[in-house]
Amino acid sequence: MSGPNPLVDDRDIAFLLHDVHRAEDLVAYPAFAHHDRETFDLYVDSVRRLAREALYPAYRTMDEHPPRLEPDGRVRAHAIMHELWPRMVELGLISATRPEAVGGMALPLLVSTAADVYSMAANLAAFGYVGLTRGAAHLIEAFGTDELRERFMTPMLEGRFTGTMALTEPHAGSSLGDLTTKAVPTEGGHYLIRGSKIFISAADHGITDNVVNLTLARIEGAPAGTAGISLFAVPQRRPGDGSGDDWVDNDVHVTGAIHKVGWRGLPSLALSFGERGDCHGWLVGPEHRGLACMFQMMNEARIMVGLNGVATASVAYHESLAYARERAQGRPLGDKDPTRPPVAIVEHADVRRMLLRQKAIVEGGLSLVMQTARWADDAAHGPPHARKRAAALLDFITPITKSFPAERGYLSNTLALQIHGGYGYSSEYLPEAWLRDQKLNSIHEGTTGIQALDLLGRKVLREGGRTLALLAEELHAAVAEAAQAGVDPRLGQALQGAMTTTAELVAHLGALAQANPTEALAHATDFLDLLSTVVVAWQWLRQATVATRCLEGLASGRGREGFLRAKLATAECFFDAELPRVAALAHRCRHDRSYVELDPRWL
Amino acid sequence: MKILVTVKRIPDPDESLKFAGNAIDTSSSKWVANAFDEYAVETALRMAEHIGNKDRLAEVIVCSVCPKDKRQHVTQFLAMGADRGVIVDADETAMDSQTVAKLVAEVFRREGCDLLVSGKLSQDSEGNEVAQRAAGLLDLPQASFAATLRWDRGANALTVGREVDDGVETKTIPLPAVVSVDLRIVLPHSVKNGATADDHKYSDGARLASLRGITMAKRKKVDVHTPAALGVTPSSHVAVAGVTAPEKRAAGQIVDSAQTLVNKLITEAKVL
Repeated sequence: MSGPNPLVDDRDIAFLLHDVHRAEDLVAYPAFAHHDRETFDLYVDSVRRLAREALYPAYRTMDEHPPRLEPDGRVRAHAIMHELWPRMVELGLISATRPEAVGGMALPLLVSTAADVYSMAANLAAFGYVGLTRGAAHLIEAFGTDELRERFMTPMLEGRFTGTMALTEPHAGSSLGDLTTKAVPTEGGHYLIRGSKIFISAADHGITDNVVNLTLARIEGAPAGTAGISLFAVPQRRPGDGSGDDWVDNDVHVTGAIHKVGWRGLPSLALSFGERGDCHGWLVGPEHRGLACMFQMMNEARIMVGLNGVATASVAYHESLAYARERAQGRPLGDKDPTRPPVAIVEHADVRRMLLRQKAIVEGGLSLVMQTARWADDAAHGPPHARKRAAALLDFITPITKSFPAERGYLSNTLALQIHGGYGYSSEYLPEAWLRDQKLNSIHEGTTGIQALDLLGRKVLREGGRTLALLAEELHAAVAEAAQAGVDPRLGQALQGAMTTTAELVAHLGALAQANPTEALAHATDFLDLLSTVVVAWQWLRQATVATRCLEGLASGRGREGFLRAKLATAECFFDAELPRVAALAHRCRHDRSYVELDPRWL
Repeated sequence: MKILVTVKRIPDPDESLKFAGNAIDTSSSKWVANAFDEYAVETALRMAEHIGNKDRLAEVIVCSVCPKDKRQHVTQFLAMGADRGVIVDADETAMDSQTVAKLVAEVFRREGCDLLVSGKLSQDSEGNEVAQRAAGLLDLPQASFAATLRWDRGANALTVGREVDDGVETKTIPLPAVVSVDLRIVLPHSVKNGATADDHKYSDGARLASLRGITMAKRKKVDVHTPAALGVTPSSHVAVAGVTAPEKRAAGQIVDSAQTLVNKLITEAKVL
């Protein structure tokens, strides 16, 4: 029997964190000078243990018993959250990366990412409360007044309140410009909020005394569209009018609970603000600049969703790996002797194909998210001359980081289920639950379609490929380094080829955009898929380079040899199974007019 | 009150074993804290802390024999809440239990401690010797395999529930003393210090090091001694003759009736 599901491979975390993305280099930045490798390793270790010992054992029951809207109009999270929440808070999960000035520990996002992936793999829903609270607190830290910080941010960072992001309205899903929630200024300095929102995660749960909804609304008389949206802190309970610590009901009501297929431990709610005309909201940031402010939270949330995708694929991969090693069925091809005992299914090449494909997606995706986090650290705290470049790359890569793990992670999750055969298609086994969880990641925080338009429209075409050129420099450098390290030259050549294909396609789409912008964007999602594949291949080439160097001088059968050889095999798998799709996708972007010209009435 | 807790680093017991010739290959091992030492530190912290108050009833000192630059486990225990550390800078893998016990006893003496708390054994060698040997060297009363512990501060004594083969034996020992702890010492109601409410429910298990705790641990004092400075000459009366993997389990037998099974258990396995 193998042990319990490890959620994530510890060796891979050490390899990516230290050997590939070089976390220790970050302590040279003044913001991180008080840390060292030991702190990083101890923190990751604590979170990993909490994930394995407390969060993961609670996963199934939270999935099976989702919160409901109770007759008293309140929603209550699973009782086990009352035990998990203080433990997550105590370890420092909410405030880890925030500066010491606001009560955080100024941990690099790269290190926090290496820890978070365990919590997410263990229990996405439980971690969801942390992620949302983090983002909401950070918004007030960045744009709120000192008074708002004290009133709402500090309690959130201390785990006394939780936070949400309240954007979506029933009639306007991804189309934020159409939202109608209203804010009327008052003499008291606050606004009166009125309107309804939907799909608001964790807006009521009973774990903490209060929930702060970071809400987008339109100040009376504001311009139409996205230029008239402002950001407000709208708490479930607000400070009473008298002095002291009395907090009163703020006229925020739950009007429905969504019955979700996954993430079932985290309630998704419909909210109504101001039914009695007594819902107070406080402006965060300047008037009409709400969407720009909210993008800070959304960009962070998008990176987090990328990590959700990696984590959900990771836990399922490890489950299927253990199953494949234990489940005996069939005999090697050509062995017809029925008296011989059956072999573990991992002995069958097709099962190893499915395992390696998952590993390629999981570990390639994790490296992508860690690269993104590293750029976020560089952009915020790196040497001044490097910040601009890192910020540009971070902004550019975000739609890829958000969508690759969600889309390819879904494929990975189906393979984990497939390996379990008929049992995988039953709720007795967990792969089906992770498949359900994974699906949300291509939908929330901007669907894959939205990410695609962001990447191709805003980030590639509108800025004339400037940041894409910076990214290409990174890729060229990696190809040169791989050659120097003695990595199989086939990989470097394949990546070069894919880069040329991409550059030619971008030139073609750029020209097309001049004549017909709509048509140029029609294949945005295919382009996102293409560039994501190139970028993750780059991450695999980097991993192959580091693995090759680590293998030098290592005697056969010693130390990490097996792990490093598996890295090389997985890199090869990604280059052979995924990278060839680039040519087909480029062809599609140029020539496939089927849905561009299709009349919807014909369907 | 000063409590000394022994702590040790070991190769991660969850990793699969690798062999290099006649020895275990630890070249790529992750070194982690011995789990029973986590229980020991948790025990000491529960004794020292007065829940609901700021006062502390004892100073908790963690002591490890290890190379001074391989001290991550010590930092971890300081991050859990121990007050300070003592490292005896030596390669513990080349020492026998008697040498380690002598070093621990000497630190205990020099620090003027009142209580030594140890995990009942380390998960790598499973020796279960250091606490008992140290008690002998210090000529102190001892209670091993503690599953419950009550500190009677008025009487300056400990009442210890020991898990033994046929049940739980309760012993009262005067301080100073030596206690080794077993797994159940970290259950929610196992430790009572006479100050924290008796019905206080601790979290199950040893606490984890928080990020704040880890950062604060860096500022805590850690003294480093050499065995020579403690007047102990490392000796090894134990030599490793060789290390081999246990034999693989042979395939089981399928028998056709319960009667055959019983017969086989009597005649072949000889367990009935």
